[in-house]
Amino acid sequence: MVFIKAQKSKAYFKRFQVKYKRRRQGKTDYRARIRLINQDKNKYNTPKYRFVVRFSNKDIVAQIISATIAGDLILSAAYSHELPHYGLAVGLTNYAAAYCTGLLLARRVLKKLEMDEEYEGNVEATGEDFSVEPSESRRPFRALLDVGLVRTTTGNRVFGALKGALDGGLDIPHSDKRFAGFKKDDKQLDAEIHRKYIFGGHVADYMRILMEDEPEKYQSHFSEYIKRGIGADDIDSLYKKVHAAIRADPTPKKSTKEPPKEKKRYNLKKLTYEQKKAKLIERLNALNDAGGDDDDEDED
Amino acid sequence: MPAGHGLRSRTRDLFARPFRKKGYIPLTTYLRTYKIGDYVDVKVNGAVHKGMPHKFYHGRTGKVWNVTKRAIGVEINKQVGNRIIRKRIHVRVEHVQPSRCAEEFRLRKKKNDELKAEAKARGEIISTKRQPEGPKPGFMVEGATLETVTPIPYDVVNDLKGGY
Repeated sequence: MVFIKAQKSKAYFKRFQVKYKRRRQGKTDYRARIRLINQDKNKYNTPKYRFVVRFSNKDIVAQIISATIAGDLILSAAYSHELPHYGLAVGLTNYAAAYCTGLLLARRVLKKLEMDEEYEGNVEATGEDFSVEPSESRRPFRALLDVGLVRTTTGNRVFGALKGALDGGLDIPHSDKRFAGFKKDDKQLDAEIHRKYIFGGHVADYMRILMEDEPEKYQSHFSEYIKRGIGADDIDSLYKKVHAAIRADPTPKKSTKEPPKEKKRYNLKKLTYEQKKAKLIERLNALNDAGGDDDDEDED
Repeated sequence: MPAGHGLRSRTRDLFARPFRKKGYIPLTTYLRTYKIGDYVDVKVNGAVHKGMPHKFYHGRTGKVWNVTKRAIGVEINKQVGNRIIRKRIHVRVEHVQPSRCAEEFRLRKKKNDELKAEAKARGEIISTKRQPEGPKPGFMVEGATLETVTPIPYDVVNDLKGGY
């Protein structure tokens, strides 16, 4: 039995300063957040919108958020689990799906602000670097990309979502250095390769390779694609249809859910402040009455 | 070596962050807006090195006279010799807090406006002036028994009992 000297004494805990809650959870990068939220003081209450893209294992979340002291306000949001409404049922977390989600969010926001006729954006996705031109009447909607804690390497899916939003018509300051298809050697974006990624070309290529070399792995890996009858050559036209459907009607669909069933309560419900105070007064009165009787008995 | 009189001299404790509050500063400081004419307190935040005011202004309250991209112009009174000068400094927002000195006044103003509006509706004239606290009202002392106290002649023997 090895005797180890206690590492964390009481003094350690007394002096320990906890990091912010969201830092402890590993969800927020405060250094980046401060710089994204800080608004020029001579712009007073003008909101500063950030285009937030987050990935989970099975979903993509794209939101437009502005910050207030009470909390962040979400102007509009788009999730990749909504893409089935527009015709895309599989591959909901790849580069192409990120592009669709960004595009959906951009069209949704512009429609909400009644700017969607003015700012069509890039209707034909070519993969080239595209920035919105300001029109005569209103300036384009400006947001700043917020990647979160993701490592921003070339070809990351957040930049797929960024491209989607840009082509949708939002004004987001960016450079093409991190889009998929940027060649570091000639410092240029290869628009062809980027367009391939936007339309799921890289997925189609992998499907073809697997079909040739390892058919069993193809069956297991792309089972959902096979189930819906999507082959390697159908992917391009599939995404084209999804883009068109998104541009046609970006409004979110309200899902009808039944109200949740009443569940049996296993633990006591917490009392409110007033209820606790009332209970205390009752107990004190009861004690006083009982105590009063005892005193009278003692005196006698 | 003589003591220096640099800009931040003698600020070892003044500019230090409080215990267990080091590191990033909460975001509310960046989200607050200030308008010209607001009262603000200047409180230096040692974590942010840019736009720090001189240690004299730490703890002073002044009015905002200018708002720029990341800083605020505050007008603070400073006594120089035999006069008070209105000094104008620019301070970054991290070193500034909205002051509550005028809060009581604003609340009272609002309440008085309401009272006056009500009185006008009823047609009577009221005075909303604050009155200073007057002398306490007189009262009768209840349940007191009189005990007459008279001096007793000095008795040497009794007093020596303790230390004899």
